[in-house]
Amino acid sequence: MSTTLEGRGPEGDGAGGTSRRRGYQLRAWSFTAPGVVWVFAFTIFPLAHTLYLSLQSTGLGGNRFVGLRNFVRLWRDYRFWSALRLTLTFVTVSVVVTVVVGTVLALAVNRGVRGTRVFRTLSILPMFAAPIALGYLGLTIFYQQGGPINNVLAAVGLRPVPWLSDGRWALVSILAVDVWQWTPFVFLVVLAALQNVPAELLEAARLETSSSWPVLTRITFPLIRGPLGTVIILRIVEAFKVFDIPFTLTNGGPGLATRSLTYDVYTTGLRNQNFGYAASIAVVMLVLVMVVAIVFYRSYGSTYE
Amino acid sequence: MTDRDGIRRLGGVPARSDRLKDVVASAILVLAAVWVLFPFYWAAITSLKQPVDVFRLSFVPWVQFTPTLSNWRSELFYRGSAIFSGLGNSFLIGLGACLVAMALGTLAGYGLARFRYRGWRNRDISLYFLSQRFLPPAATILPFFYFAQRLDLLDTRIILIAANATFTMPFAVLLMRDAFQGIPIEMEEAARVDGASYLQILLRISLPLTAPTLVAAGIISFAFTWNEFVFAFVLSYSRAVPMSVLIAGTQDVMGVQFGYVSTRLLLAILPPAIVVLIVQRYIVTGLTLGAVKG
Amino acid sequence: MAKRCSTYAVLAGFLFVGTAGVSQAAASMDELEKSTADKAFAAAPKGKPNPAWKGQTFTIATLAAGPRGAISGPLYFWKPYFEKLTGATYRVVEIAFGDMQAKIETDFASSAGQYDAVVGGQFMMGDYVANDWIIPIDKYLNDPSYPKMDLDSIAPAYKALDRWGDHWYAFNNDHDGMILYYRRDLFNDKKWQDQFQAKYKYALPNPPKTWQQLLDVASFFNSVEWNGPGKEHQGISLHLKVGEQGFFDFLSIAAPYVVSAAPGGNPKKVTRYHNVFWFDPTDMKPLVNTAPFVKALETEIALYKAGSSAQLSWALGEAWNAFLGGQAAMCYSFGDVTPLAESAANSVIKGKVAASPTPGSTEVWDFQSKKWVKASGANLVGNVDGASWSGVISRKAKNPDLVAYFLAWQGTPEINHWNTTWGFTGINPGTKYDFFAPFGTAKVEDYVNAGYDRQDAIDYVNAYQKQDFEYPLQLPYLRIPGTPAYLESLDVHLSEALSGHVSAQEALNRIANDWDEITDRLGRDKQVKFYREAIGYTGG
Repeated sequence: MSTTLEGRGPEGDGAGGTSRRRGYQLRAWSFTAPGVVWVFAFTIFPLAHTLYLSLQSTGLGGNRFVGLRNFVRLWRDYRFWSALRLTLTFVTVSVVVTVVVGTVLALAVNRGVRGTRVFRTLSILPMFAAPIALGYLGLTIFYQQGGPINNVLAAVGLRPVPWLSDGRWALVSILAVDVWQWTPFVFLVVLAALQNVPAELLEAARLETSSSWPVLTRITFPLIRGPLGTVIILRIVEAFKVFDIPFTLTNGGPGLATRSLTYDVYTTGLRNQNFGYAASIAVVMLVLVMVVAIVFYRSYGSTYE
Repeated sequence: MTDRDGIRRLGGVPARSDRLKDVVASAILVLAAVWVLFPFYWAAITSLKQPVDVFRLSFVPWVQFTPTLSNWRSELFYRGSAIFSGLGNSFLIGLGACLVAMALGTLAGYGLARFRYRGWRNRDISLYFLSQRFLPPAATILPFFYFAQRLDLLDTRIILIAANATFTMPFAVLLMRDAFQGIPIEMEEAARVDGASYLQILLRISLPLTAPTLVAAGIISFAFTWNEFVFAFVLSYSRAVPMSVLIAGTQDVMGVQFGYVSTRLLLAILPPAIVVLIVQRYIVTGLTLGAVKG
Repeated sequence: MAKRCSTYAVLAGFLFVGTAGVSQAAASMDELEKSTADKAFAAAPKGKPNPAWKGQTFTIATLAAGPRGAISGPLYFWKPYFEKLTGATYRVVEIAFGDMQAKIETDFASSAGQYDAVVGGQFMMGDYVANDWIIPIDKYLNDPSYPKMDLDSIAPAYKALDRWGDHWYAFNNDHDGMILYYRRDLFNDKKWQDQFQAKYKYALPNPPKTWQQLLDVASFFNSVEWNGPGKEHQGISLHLKVGEQGFFDFLSIAAPYVVSAAPGGNPKKVTRYHNVFWFDPTDMKPLVNTAPFVKALETEIALYKAGSSAQLSWALGEAWNAFLGGQAAMCYSFGDVTPLAESAANSVIKGKVAASPTPGSTEVWDFQSKKWVKASGANLVGNVDGASWSGVISRKAKNPDLVAYFLAWQGTPEINHWNTTWGFTGINPGTKYDFFAPFGTAKVEDYVNAGYDRQDAIDYVNAYQKQDFEYPLQLPYLRIPGTPAYLESLDVHLSEALSGHVSAQEALNRIANDWDEITDRLGRDKQVKFYREAIGYTGG
């Protein structure tokens, strides 16, 4: 039996008759089937139920089928638009900042200066800090009259910042906590990717040029493009669902200033018991994120085949 | 070549611009370390504060406020068993979810990296897995609750392991797929020629080569599960309550009890910190990349 | 990593050494606590426990606050006594505060309910009754084998909360309400009295009797340095953070503008225009965006400006801290402030805390003629703001009699009063047994022994006594189905108005809109019926 070139990418699955193709597919699916089936079992039913719920209106004594009325109401609901605007802003800023800072840190660590091992261990800790606890702790850190941050600001002569009582600064506060917690995630993944870059390649490049910028852009970045893309899409999707931090730090306030979409779903569904409407918000969220993901895959797609 | 730290260094005498970059890098690291550690430091001193001191400016114990052990005493003696059980639950659920997610995810990641699918394309399957992260928790929680209730799985660790394995599998799938794609195919093909089965190739050759990513993905899966909140607090009542829910319990009718938030934050981070410490060593000794490339 | 290990090692070392010293001081307080509890236990009515109950157990769900925390504390504390009394026991399930509604509703609605009893907030009562999730407890109230609670001793407003329509559903336990706290030393200081008189042309009211006066006083103290040069000097401290019960402040301010006495012999009679607050009882039209509410919100916004701008981000802890830490001259809040003020761990103002019942208003809105009417003196309206955590029995309870026995026992005068005097329980005073002679039977010594400053205790208890028993009118408490949804809308839009995002009228219009939608979704006719039952409206 000749060796079939079963590789990644569109090089093709080699010559061979239909029997090999069928066997090939069987083997291929034997790897992914367990995961696919698991996810199907634990997600399709809940998703179907959610879709079903989004077409109901929840009142005393049960649900009533109302078709698309929830969605129409959503379209006209300024609270939904406010939550949407906020969530999109949050996602954009958070992803940009965590990715940039995380990558810079990974590049710095990759140089191998002293103490990088200690730092790498330390940097994993934020990911394990419970966001709930961070939010509560943040109440004392962002405290307006003499909390540590405002105290430092006062020491250098700046005015105290209304971290939690002003709409715009409240957004900055939740971003700060989120960035603090998730930059290590980017850092870890990018670092692992940087370490997969063959040393000989870099050494060869350094023989060609002494400045590091072209080395960075022409060699390093293209090689880590895959993992970097993955980490970006994962960050986008995570940031989109932000909940724990506004839940504990600002309660979505002041007013609606930091009320994310997931927060809206939670309050509407589990607190106000308005399940139908909450489900419709969730469905819209799902559609939006799928669109983002598809757009992302279209542009980054080649690295994913 | 890789040094003791597992960090790659370029050979030769560093040039002047190199040294400057090293200094800048060091400075960045120091700043980053302070930034990373500050909240933990703050939690540590807040856990030693009386409620009246919590909002008063005080960085340094004894100098600026009188520290007290009453928060720790109350937590460890009065609530000790609850906390111990909370930590235990978090650990078991995290471990369980991590193992399931990594097992199924690595298999799927390998499949996506090495095979070309028909019918459903690779890109579609990847998107299918990724889409699990898209669903907002609050939307699927109710159906999950009914499902769990009907099977009498409420307040059990099993249901939380199942839920968290589902949520963290995308990380495993995508990260492992990227890692497998980064490995040259020649080694595997050589083993194929020798007659090894695909599973053997995966386990004996490809997996060890992707050890850093395997560990990273495992840590990420564990971390996400450790801090997962929404499902944990809806699906657990008393026996399966993990730390994340215990922390939420520090907000009672009189407001947030900051002393307890701090103690629980620190207690909650202790086991993962230990896990990470152990795992670090594994990364250092387990690397065989040099052997392959060199 | 090494750094963290050594930190933990040091901490552990301290624990062993420090525990010895700390426990010395706590010992005598513990002894006093135990001895008074033993006395209360001995004196409390015990009815006749059924011997078949021996070895049985039930599950009671409540707020997560631990064995020494609010509301859950007494459940843990009294368990050994209960076991001795009946041979039965119970399991306490703690639910995080933010999760209570969701968890309780899901449990009651599910077929395999785990909770036999719930000590929850009274605002859920409407949902409980509408869905038939709890059982009425009338039959236990006069049965001699059950511990007798003295129902007539409970303040009428709290008694009303324990009932729905013609039946009793909840057992006497906690009694929440908001009152005004202020710094006695500042108000008694001639310097400030003179300055206030000069500026506002009337004497510094001690205490302020109306919200109009309160606003003047707060603005005054916010503008003078009563706390020493360079230190914070806030006029008032309010917990206005969204999602943290800040809306109760608004309700208390609005009450005296909105609630008016009914003409005729019974001033408390609920008519279409009198003693109503939330909705028009004929059609459930929200009243929240009418003139008196706008005025109230504008007053609240002005009050907010008479304190720190950070109030908008203050939950209970931060707001109390501003007052207890000596930075604010006044605080308007629940019954936890004085108890906290008396412990050195929580405050620096012990001995300086005066209290007075909720201020009233010089004018009231007449809904019929749609005009302001001047009140003779001040229109005083009391409140039961808060949750007033009380026990109810699930319809799915396996042994409701045993559960009823326990809850009734906790509601007996001796046990309930003991709970109110010991601060950790979070139970606030509300019956004759909690108030002083000549009105009630409590003694100041009860409080002094528990560590209170004498005058602070007197002011605190008397403030609640006046508000609960002497105020002619009360703010109706909302507890119809869907209350959480109504309150959430109120809360969020109030926060928008306070943050300046929208005008007061616009915010209230948004609330009214939301409320109409909720009412329609739940079924307007049903809601009208429930609302009438909840407030006791029978037409007119």
